[in-house]
Amino acid sequence: MFHKVLVALDGSAGAQRALQAALQIVHEQELDLWLVSVEEDLPRYVATRDEFEAEKERANHYAIAIQEQAEHLAQQAGAQVHRAVLVGHPAKQIVDYAAKGGFDLLVIGHSGHSNLWGSFLGTNADKIVRHAPCTVMVVR
Amino acid sequence: MDLNDVWFIASLWMGLALLASLISIRLGVSVALAEIGVGVIGGNFLGLHTTPWIDFLASFGSVLLTFLAGAEIDPDSLRRHLKASLAIGCIAFILPALGAFTFCFWVARWDLHAAEIGGIALSTTSVAVVYAVMVETGLNRTDIGKLILAACFVNDLGTVLALGILFANFNWLLLLFVVVTVVVLLFLPRLTRFVIGSVGGRVSEPEVKFIFLILFGLGWLAELAKSEAVLPAYLVGLVIAGVFVRDRVLVDRMRSIAFALLTPFYFLKAGSYVALPAVVAGFVLIVALLAVKMGTKAVGVWPLARAFAFTPRNSIYTTLLMSTGLTFGTISALYGLTNHIIDQTQYTILVTVVIGSAVVPTLIAQTWFRPDIAAEGQPEPALEPARAVHSRAVSVAADAASD
Repeated sequence: MFHKVLVALDGSAGAQRALQAALQIVHEQELDLWLVSVEEDLPRYVATRDEFEAEKERANHYAIAIQEQAEHLAQQAGAQVHRAVLVGHPAKQIVDYAAKGGFDLLVIGHSGHSNLWGSFLGTNADKIVRHAPCTVMVVR
Repeated sequence: MDLNDVWFIASLWMGLALLASLISIRLGVSVALAEIGVGVIGGNFLGLHTTPWIDFLASFGSVLLTFLAGAEIDPDSLRRHLKASLAIGCIAFILPALGAFTFCFWVARWDLHAAEIGGIALSTTSVAVVYAVMVETGLNRTDIGKLILAACFVNDLGTVLALGILFANFNWLLLLFVVVTVVVLLFLPRLTRFVIGSVGGRVSEPEVKFIFLILFGLGWLAELAKSEAVLPAYLVGLVIAGVFVRDRVLVDRMRSIAFALLTPFYFLKAGSYVALPAVVAGFVLIVALLAVKMGTKAVGVWPLARAFAFTPRNSIYTTLLMSTGLTFGTISALYGLTNHIIDQTQYTILVTVVIGSAVVPTLIAQTWFRPDIAAEGQPEPALEPARAVHSRAVSVAADAASD
């Protein structure tokens, strides 16, 4: 039914459940799995480039760590994995990535690491569901 | 309890610096902006004021910040895009400086020297803000992105030179400062490499002390000549940028010293002088000056970007990014206030415009004019390289098939 599956990971429990659901789908349909993480907490309006790069390096370590964990699980399920790390607003970057990559299924967790405004302005899952160019599976 | 006790004052300021750090982490804004914000609250509601030793730490913080900014240049990138970056950077400095000066002098009726400070403070471009914005689209890895960054460096060099020269006394002390600075800059890259190579990497940090000696010494000569210590600091950073490319550990250590102990005092001090009533009373002037800055940057940068074959969309994006400002704008404004060239109201207006220029153009650029990288003939660099990983089961099957 699906040909190209993308999972958004942020290290939260919700994202872990999304990954498990996605692994089940790709295993049944013998598909590759794409993983995407977005570094959203990088400082804006910095005084030096170095401040930004140091924070990015820290965020890279975290993103790579969670993706390597996911990769390990995917290996056990027999899936071929492709990874990407993006920078910016999570919902926007994920939606853009899904559109550019031609994905037909995007799997996300219902609750991630909500930022300060998540409760007031809508979670990333809400925004992704509204704007994604493909089927979205929200895993609770 | 003595509220003027040095340890109490140190505790108060460091407490505010820590609070700003936590706010910056939680909100995802730079620690500089958070420190300015906390400084505004401190100055307006807590009676926060400086002491001579805080003034020194703040001054050194601005000098070190400027040095680090100069050291961030990519020398190869500047060489490769020299003509375009010089042209765009010079125009991006000259037109806003003249435009803001004219507006401050003729419309806002500031005196001549206050208007000069206004022109300098609003001529800046923030390399760091531009870089952080470009990383989101991957533009920082493209030729156009590197050209924009190089142009930003040239723009800021213009700002620092103007600040250092315009208010200096033209006498033998200035001559001495210029001659010594030129000689030091000529020999500094080789000397720095020698120091790092011969005594670097020790617990006593001799290479850090060496750079501090250069900054203190040239700063002293600058002060004697009534120039500004950030000028030689930026030039020192520029000339040894190539050395730092090879020694990231040294940069990290200097950054730690700066961000932990020095720059918080600078940004808190900068924020503490912002008078909130003046922000309200001067709101129209603030908006007008922001428009002047952005308008003059557009008039200067957009045609040049088109002349260098940028697409129309990317020309607007470049123009907006070069309308940003933060560090050098606040340094220029604080220089004016400290030297009694501008008053607190004028300082408040300039700093508010500078902060506004960090936020407004980048929001507009990212929302409506995200770059058309493919149209520039560049591969789409928005994504980190994806890595395909073969599962153990697949590779084991492949090995078995090849046996």
